[in-house]
Amino acid sequence: MKRLLAVLSALLAVALCGFAALGGSEESVMSDQVRFQASRRIVPEHGYRIHEISRGDGTLIKEYVSLDGKVFGVSWKGPTLPDLSQLLGSSFVEFKNSVHPRAGRRKTAVVRNGDLVVESTGHMRAFQGRAYLNSLLPPGITQEVVR
Amino acid sequence: MRRGLAAATVALMVVSLAACGDGNSSSSSETASAPPPVNNVQPVIVDAGPLVNGQSLGDEDILFTTVTICIPGTVTCQSIDHIAVDTGSSGLRIVASQLALALPNSMNSSGQPIGNCVQYADNSYQWGPIAKADIKMAGEVASAIPIQVVGAENFPAPPADCTAGGTPAQTVSDLGANGILGVGLFRQDCGPACASTASPPAIYFSCASSGCSIASVSVTEQLQNPVWMFPQDNNGVLIVLPQSAASGALSVQGSMLFGIGTQSDNTLGSAQAQAADGFGNFTTTFNGTKYSNSFIDSGSNALFFLDSATTGLPDCSARSQAVGFYCPDSTANFTAINSGPNPSASTTQVSVNVAFSIANAVSLFNNSVNTAFNNVGGANPGAFDWGLPFFFGRNVFIGIEGQSSAAGKGPYWAY
Repeated sequence: MKRLLAVLSALLAVALCGFAALGGSEESVMSDQVRFQASRRIVPEHGYRIHEISRGDGTLIKEYVSLDGKVFGVSWKGPTLPDLSQLLGSSFVEFKNSVHPRAGRRKTAVVRNGDLVVESTGHMRAFQGRAYLNSLLPPGITQEVVR
Repeated sequence: MRRGLAAATVALMVVSLAACGDGNSSSSSETASAPPPVNNVQPVIVDAGPLVNGQSLGDEDILFTTVTICIPGTVTCQSIDHIAVDTGSSGLRIVASQLALALPNSMNSSGQPIGNCVQYADNSYQWGPIAKADIKMAGEVASAIPIQVVGAENFPAPPADCTAGGTPAQTVSDLGANGILGVGLFRQDCGPACASTASPPAIYFSCASSGCSIASVSVTEQLQNPVWMFPQDNNGVLIVLPQSAASGALSVQGSMLFGIGTQSDNTLGSAQAQAADGFGNFTTTFNGTKYSNSFIDSGSNALFFLDSATTGLPDCSARSQAVGFYCPDSTANFTAINSGPNPSASTTQVSVNVAFSIANAVSLFNNSVNTAFNNVGGANPGAFDWGLPFFFGRNVFIGIEGQSSAAGKGPYWAY
């Protein structure tokens, strides 16, 4: 199954496809069927692979998957925010609890906990962000690849 | 308590037509194409903000103004104070609890009310119906333009595409203001992307009683930047704020002038214009690195840029009241370069040096009752968000997209 996915590096048009959550398994990338009109592309990199999910409004979501099939990072870019509760998975509660909306009208979120790092920036029409789990970074791969 | 607040801050006024209009329309010698000049100077202030339960919210670095809203074509009007002036968005958004007028909701071609969503990168959002109102500031009037009623009652709940899993920021307390006046670079909050029938983004919704779903909405039915809807002085905005001391100021009063080069008080002078891209961004160069997703936003209450590792500025303690801001041991001085194409000659790059200082936010906030600071900063990884401190001691012009001036066509900044 995993080997099959790695081979699928061509553009796949997937009408009903969701995205896997941070910390989830690669299988969930394909099985997580939500209503997300999107196309998907799998890009093999040295030591990991990237699932790129794009939709017509310009949203691009990237999921960074280690060779043993764990989603160690996610990034997003687009006119609106993707559903972070879905994209961050079990890390979402920690993210939400770490953001202090009253601390400033800064409209950004930067969380740097021991394991979880989330950077959500930008503004209407142009959001971007990334999240990763330090504990899941593959050997020899730094957080800088998640962007 | 809450009702007392509403009565105090929201004065429902029925005013005469003469008082609402420019009151000076007898000059028969004017040509038909040039309306008589009106007062284009709107007072603005940085202060402790609106009262909630009898107390000022006390947030720092929020720029406010008072906006008069009327039921379209009538003299039934209301003035609402402490509306945040936001150059980072377009369109007027009023917190529903502060609105005493029964404004007509906008309907789409299927006869359903239109829902509008604005999201922020901190995963908060504002949701509510689009209604139409006449908007009056200084002597200017934008007639029957779409605005958002934030957190309106008796309206369907925000759909997941709007909430994105996040937290509502829909009360006066959440916003630190009674509403948001978006006088940014764009004519609408969304523009042609939301008029696309193929795959519009999650900004406009068609709302049946059973719930709301993403829908395309024509550009004219979208939230409009009130300034470009004025009959004159409609090509941009000039914000003028005096400098404040390094220790801050209790409050700062300034002006928002409508139009660029349309009257004797809003000429460009020596200001240098730089075009922004289709997202409202430009390039800031800092220590030799270019950050191309940078922007100017009076609605951000500090200079938010890069991160602690890149700047060497320590983050304030997570347990302090200044979490999210920078806390250097001593004030740090920096220079960055903002650059963008000349709006009237796009092959020419225009660069401007910007000097700024970052002080310890905990010390600033602890030691005073001041609300205006020109030297508070915080993190914004990968880009510069030039927040309200950028505006102190500077005349900043905002050229609206597609609107012409001596500097060229917007979107551009000039300072």
